[in-house]
Amino acid sequence: MAGQGLALSRHSCSYLDKEEFRVLFSSIPFLYYFLPAVLFLYFLAPFKLKIFSKKTGEPVYFEVKNFILLIASLFFYAYGEPTYSLLMVATTLSSYIHGLLIDKFRGKVWAKVFLCTSVISSLAALGFFKYADFFVSNINGIFGANLNLLRLALPIGISFYTFQTLSYTVDVYRGDAKVQKSFIRLATYVALFPQLIAGPIVRYTTVEEDLSERKHTFENFGTGVTRLIVGLGKKVLIADSFGALARTLMASDEQSVVGYWVYAVAISLQLYFDFSGYSDMAIGMGRMFGFRFLENFNYPFISKSAAEFWRRWHMSLGSWFRDYLYIPLGGNRVSVPRWVLNTLIVWFATGFWHGADWTFIIWGLYFALFLMLEKFFLKKFFDKLPAVFSHIYLLFIVLVSFVIFSGNGMAGAMHDVGALFGAGGLPLFTGETGYYILSYSLVLLVGIVGATPLVKTAVLKIKETSLGGKVLNVLEPLFVLAILVTVTAYFVDGSFSPFLYFRF
Amino acid sequence: MQNKTKNILVTVLFSLFIAFFTVMSIYSGFLNPQKTSEAERRPLAQFPSDLSWEAIKDKTAIDGFEDFVVDQFPFREFFRSIKARFQMNVLGLKENNGLAVEDGYIVKVESTFNDKFVSDSIDILSHIYDQYFKNGKGNAFVSIIPDKNYYFSKDYGYASPDYGKLVADVRAALAGTQYIDLFDSLELEDYYKTDTHWNQPEILGALEKLAIGLGVSDYLSGEYETVTIDGDFHGVYHGQSALNPKPDKISYLTNASIAGTKLYNYGQKLEEVPMYNLDLFDGEDGYNVFLSGAAGNPVMRIVNNKCQNKSTLIVFRDSFGSSILPLLSEAYQTIYVIDIRSIDYNIIPGWNGLYEVIPKRVFEEADVLFLYSTLIFNSNSFKPLAK
Repeated sequence: MAGQGLALSRHSCSYLDKEEFRVLFSSIPFLYYFLPAVLFLYFLAPFKLKIFSKKTGEPVYFEVKNFILLIASLFFYAYGEPTYSLLMVATTLSSYIHGLLIDKFRGKVWAKVFLCTSVISSLAALGFFKYADFFVSNINGIFGANLNLLRLALPIGISFYTFQTLSYTVDVYRGDAKVQKSFIRLATYVALFPQLIAGPIVRYTTVEEDLSERKHTFENFGTGVTRLIVGLGKKVLIADSFGALARTLMASDEQSVVGYWVYAVAISLQLYFDFSGYSDMAIGMGRMFGFRFLENFNYPFISKSAAEFWRRWHMSLGSWFRDYLYIPLGGNRVSVPRWVLNTLIVWFATGFWHGADWTFIIWGLYFALFLMLEKFFLKKFFDKLPAVFSHIYLLFIVLVSFVIFSGNGMAGAMHDVGALFGAGGLPLFTGETGYYILSYSLVLLVGIVGATPLVKTAVLKIKETSLGGKVLNVLEPLFVLAILVTVTAYFVDGSFSPFLYFRF
Repeated sequence: MQNKTKNILVTVLFSLFIAFFTVMSIYSGFLNPQKTSEAERRPLAQFPSDLSWEAIKDKTAIDGFEDFVVDQFPFREFFRSIKARFQMNVLGLKENNGLAVEDGYIVKVESTFNDKFVSDSIDILSHIYDQYFKNGKGNAFVSIIPDKNYYFSKDYGYASPDYGKLVADVRAALAGTQYIDLFDSLELEDYYKTDTHWNQPEILGALEKLAIGLGVSDYLSGEYETVTIDGDFHGVYHGQSALNPKPDKISYLTNASIAGTKLYNYGQKLEEVPMYNLDLFDGEDGYNVFLSGAAGNPVMRIVNNKCQNKSTLIVFRDSFGSSILPLLSEAYQTIYVIDIRSIDYNIIPGWNGLYEVIPKRVFEEADVLFLYSTLIFNSNSFKPLAK
């Protein structure tokens, strides 16, 4: 038992190591070298530079700030992923050309042809680099073949930028977005470093206007800084503490059923604070540069159903699949069997997007199952009961889901889920479990309260009062500075835990 | 204060803070890089020397650069201290980087032993016993010194590994030896607060237990003068904890017998060195005063010509042995002290292993004591066995 726990822990560690990206936002090189250099150049430069065409003598505008952001973003990507930088540029170029062609042949059959080639080429690149070995190993397993695995390193952020470029060409085809004739603008959108590797999946339509004109104000910059630092705090101070707790529990010699449930809580909160922290950083840095990205999380753990959970968790991914897969398949305006099929397709794809492993597919279909159960039975059932039962139900299925998500392959995931219910003769509780619960009690409390809107609501209430508003306005900058000092201290001490979503 | 003023203040504070530490980081890293960290007792990363395309492509250059930037960050100890205090005082965690602090005692908390390290260590001791002593005339003993986590976890309710199983495994593997139990002769107060080691003046109970087990207790005088060395002793956990705890003092015990005993570094030629080498107190590790610590030769000989007991003892030991062996020297005319962490004990063709430094007849006639702390078993300190 202990040995298996250790093996799982090692898997988790190596999994984290594999997801490593060089210039993480949460690192000294990023915060004290890359970011200040980019900010310095960016704010020193004019937005546009007027130059005159040699041929016509007409004035032409060169967007200097976009160019600086593009070069900085390409450096950022190449620093962590030198080999695959060209792939990202090629994907962007492909989208740019396809956008122009779709626009040129608008209303004609060729527009549809170019949309198809755009979608196919983007998905082919994603499929090849991310899923080739998954398919090869499954073919080998099913047919007894002996095909060699390609063992390709997964290009960082490919799932995020592929979905962004897809949304661009589809939106141009649909007429929801104007074609972008400036390659620099489109490349800036795709490569924009705050959201390049960890999302959120920013739609082109969200930043379309910002790319050509945006405001740089103290309000934008100050709000952006606050958001960036809060995101850093969520990642470094809270998520990483939960990561340490989860690893420790898995490595424990004295595992227990209660220990596995604490592990489920820890891994769920780690994923939440890690991912929402990176989204905060992206949104904050975007704001510093004048962009407004949409929110990606909205306190998902206070949901009362799986459907609501997915309207609050990784919202940019959920809405992407809704708009570009679920609705084109017919959405819910179809027969019941077709709706069931549509739901299974969408959640198979959602799970598969997260990783080339059956664990992720099962994780996606697990949610599909509960969405269907809710639609047909559970919603009616829970509507008759006090809301607390719906919350308990939701927390139960989400905790189990993240244990599956974090499992070491299907066998490991099934083992861990079984352990939640005492499979394998696990004791209910051990002294070591008690020790870790006690040791991490304050972190657990902070994490649980922080995953609800309680603090935000309290702050807003205080701000409503005249005195409270003034006090908070003084305290907030000091609070931001205190978090910055503390996360810097964590970096210096060598605390380094990469973001969990990079390879997705 | 209006929102606009608040945002200006945030902007100014952020910009000044980042700009200051960026400039300082460039200065301290590129113009004034530090070679080592005294607090952490390790070399600090320097700017990577290989910046070739290959090194960039395989990311070793980038890894090296990141290590360099973090290691050379200005006010490193100040930031490490903030992290430690936040972790323990604000988040309420019981450990920071694996170190726990209670009533000034700093301990590296281990909840499990590394099975492979333990098994490999036991195999090596078993190999040495079989190769050198199994057919000898002397008696063989083994004794395990508990690290302070054993007492700390009991006193303060921390997680601890299965010490009983470790002892049982060692005893089973060295079945031909007699086991001397020291676990009940020590307590947490017998260890330095900021270091891993035991504090020599506090281990007389363990000494007596050991001497009784070895059958030489009658030769111990039991009377010592305690000498306290001027200056503070910053144990290995002092700097690692980053909490600036109160330092320890080092005291040692001596008497006429110990003072008259000779200690030799056992190299190609014998070199006499002091039993308590006070010159080493101000060096990297103050504990090195005992048998010259890490600065001593891996093989030493303690000679007490006035001892009534004419027999010889061979001790395989770690650094805990450095402070108890001067006291045990009263009970033997000759003690060979062997630290196998830095010498080759394998018997392979063309190489006589330990016989190269100590005559074979000594091994055949002397008593042997394997005296190791649990810390050694839970580390990969020994050289692997020859295949």
